[in-house]
Amino acid sequence: MSLWLLFKDELNGFYRSKVMLALWVGLPVMALLLYFLVDDIEGIPLTVFTGLLVSSIGGLLTSVLIVVNILNEKEKKVYDLFLIRPIRRENLLLAKFGAVFLCVMVASFIAITLAAILDSANEGYDIGSILTSMKDSLIITVSLMAINCSAGVLIGVFSPSVLVGVLLVLFGSNQLSSLVLIPMISGWGEMWMVGLASIGISALLLFGASLVFRRKEF
Amino acid sequence: MVGNSGEMVSVRGLYKRYKDLPVLLNLSFDIPKGSIFGYIGPNGSGKTTTIKIMTGLIRDFQGDVTIEGRSIRNWNTELSSTIGYLPQQTSLQEWRTVDQSLHTFGRLSGLQESEVSKRIKEVTEELGITEYRKRKVNKLSGGTLQKVGMAQAMLHRPKLMVLDEPVAGLDPESRVLFKNLFRQLSREGTTIFFSSHILSDIEDVADTIGILGQGRMRYIGSMEELRERVGRSTEVRLETVEPLLNDSVLEIIPGITRVERVADNRFHILLREHGEMDAVVDRLIKAVLAEGLHIRAIHPNRQSLESLYLSYTDQEGSP
Repeated sequence: MSLWLLFKDELNGFYRSKVMLALWVGLPVMALLLYFLVDDIEGIPLTVFTGLLVSSIGGLLTSVLIVVNILNEKEKKVYDLFLIRPIRRENLLLAKFGAVFLCVMVASFIAITLAAILDSANEGYDIGSILTSMKDSLIITVSLMAINCSAGVLIGVFSPSVLVGVLLVLFGSNQLSSLVLIPMISGWGEMWMVGLASIGISALLLFGASLVFRRKEF
Repeated sequence: MVGNSGEMVSVRGLYKRYKDLPVLLNLSFDIPKGSIFGYIGPNGSGKTTTIKIMTGLIRDFQGDVTIEGRSIRNWNTELSSTIGYLPQQTSLQEWRTVDQSLHTFGRLSGLQESEVSKRIKEVTEELGITEYRKRKVNKLSGGTLQKVGMAQAMLHRPKLMVLDEPVAGLDPESRVLFKNLFRQLSREGTTIFFSSHILSDIEDVADTIGILGQGRMRYIGSMEELRERVGRSTEVRLETVEPLLNDSVLEIIPGITRVERVADNRFHILLREHGEMDAVVDRLIKAVLAEGLHIRAIHPNRQSLESLYLSYTDQEGSP
């Protein structure tokens, strides 16, 4: 019960936050800008290119958002009033992860759909190709976002300050999330491998964060 | 460990250190059910650490704390439902309104959906914050936020309320409101444990007080007992009209342990025990008059409640 309640609460807080507002508007705008400003993207459908860009920039922003949010709440001792109640400590983190992840996924979906519509209208791709591009883009986006969000949670839990947290995001989570794309980029892997790897890495990161959070003294 | 049926909280041999800094040293005390226990000590004496151990926020410590006979080392739903906690500074997620915050805390504390709204209405009315219910918590003043903190602590009708400096930062009117609320909750059977570093904050509301100093309980007992101790003076102040040049005239009087000269005609005289006060003062007057001097003033030096508190919490320890 507590996880669902906390998730709904976090969702309620995040979807109206200023950062999320920037992502809601910013990510679809990014797809539009790409369409108008970039002449040649080496034959890659705009849908896929948008997916890559959105997951990279959106992932970075989301990761920073989670880190700053957790660190602020830790510093202000917001968790005290939750932790004395009969809830599992890790539910606080899982709820935050779930809420942010869902929000950015919806924003990414809007951006990718917009790119797919532009692809369909201007490049003359058939519906089958468009759907395949959308599927690939969404897998990439979901995978990278999941890793970025879970890395943000872990960094937020153990990082001593916002500065250290942001540096760790820049040099850690973003690179880590890119790793899952290597099999696909190098040509020996399949798209499902990217999804599977990201699920594994995200689960591992969240498990680590839960472990640290459970033992943490407030 | 099963506690006495008359005790809500039993603290035994609590020991806690932060790296090389010991904060609590073998701390033991009991809190009777339904009492208002004022926990007082200077800043940094370990009050908040004790509270955080009692509320399960600090888990790495030695010793044990039982609440209604259940050890907090086995923290569970039943235990956490027993406690209402108000931290030193109430911090809530800033994007929430007062209602949203209270709703979440009520639900997490086990209240049913239908009951939460009713309780929120009740406690916000009791605390006089009804008009702020729809306001975001980051738009509230410190005092109002403290009241919201109090509201979340009492929302689920806990048997024990642990309050860390609840009246600090409140205006006089709100202080009275809080103190009246403590009395009312205590009458209804709730045990209240609250800390402060100001004696006057607790003296008119607590029926038991514990004075913490250097990680140890320096005094525990009723406020009346403490006031009685204040009355038990063992020092007399003497002022003569003419100078008394020879201290030994006073020192040889039975019942006197030390004579401290403040001026030629003023003395602080320390007695062996409070019970001998009347007899010693009588001998003192006779001795001074026998020297052919006149007495301007003679009176027992009563310690103030504040100075007694300070003597309990100073570096040397208990008086």
